Amino acid sequence: MEQNNKFNLVDYHFRSQQEVVVSYKGPFDKGAMNMIGNYIRGLISMNPQASKKVFKVFIELAQNIAQYSAEKNIIGEYVGAGVGSLVIVDYPDYFQVVTGNLIDNGDLGPVIDKCELINTLDKEGLRKLKREQLKQNDYERAGADIGLIQLAITSDNPLDIEVKPIDQNCSFFTIRVKINK
Amino acid sequence: MQNLEIKGSHGDYDVPTVFFNAETGVCELKGESYLEKTAEFYDRLLAWLDEYIETVSNPITFNFRLTYFNTSSSKRILYILLKLKEYEDNGGEVTTNWYYDEDDTDMEEEIEDFRIISNLEINALPDSSLRWE
Repeated sequence: MEQNNKFNLVDYHFRSQQEVVVSYKGPFDKGAMNMIGNYIRGLISMNPQASKKVFKVFIELAQNIAQYSAEKNIIGEYVGAGVGSLVIVDYPDYFQVVTGNLIDNGDLGPVIDKCELINTLDKEGLRKLKREQLKQNDYERAGADIGLIQLAITSDNPLDIEVKPIDQNCSFFTIRVKINK
Repeated sequence: MQNLEIKGSHGDYDVPTVFFNAETGVCELKGESYLEKTAEFYDRLLAWLDEYIETVSNPITFNFRLTYFNTSSSKRILYILLKLKEYEDNGGEVTTNWYYDEDDTDMEEEIEDFRIISNLEINALPDSSLRWE
């Protein structure tokens, strides 16, 4: 039977809570980074300290998706930036930056362990861990492996993570970072 | 020896502005640093410092005026600091100044962490012109 699918934009638009200031799903390429980054910069005059933190958290999370998402933007033979979802919510007392992306099940364990360790540490403990990791870093690797630690330092809040198993190969990994106003 | 000049850019991925002066030994790194190819970018800076240390061997004044850098940049910035420290340990004269917005306590802590890891003396100098906007 032929189906006539109509995407309901009205539902989509109003389904988002009022507090959602940005929502995006797609490749985290230059264009997306630029657009969302500039939008956050626009918020800065209202609350400079918190907005700068929102910006920093956004950059780290977005670059993680761009590099590590198991889902890539594929156009013909070209494999582009990683695909994921991002929502920034503006609550009365805090901002919440939420991202999600597919992750290979094999990579999941270390990420969860790292987040759990991070959530046991206070600010000084986090800074100490970051210094240790930076010191013993491998020159050849692109990243610094301190992204998650930096998120906790910048936001001054625990990392709230959630894993939804998808299939044998991958899961959907959500991370919520709260930034007090 | 040639100076190293890179005009920074602002928009999608941000490239810091670089001016390394071979004649005066004053090296400036300013702006924001979250690049697509962080390693390639910082390798050029490190290679210039290597050449300067080997062939010119005059004092170096390194001025950081970065208002934001991501974590992959932190790692590369640390390599610069470690190189400066090595030069100093081998008899080179090094002054490292880090200008930052006084209200930016996160940056203050970053500078302190770099100081602890590298053992290099870094002068943290408040500069209100570096307010982030």
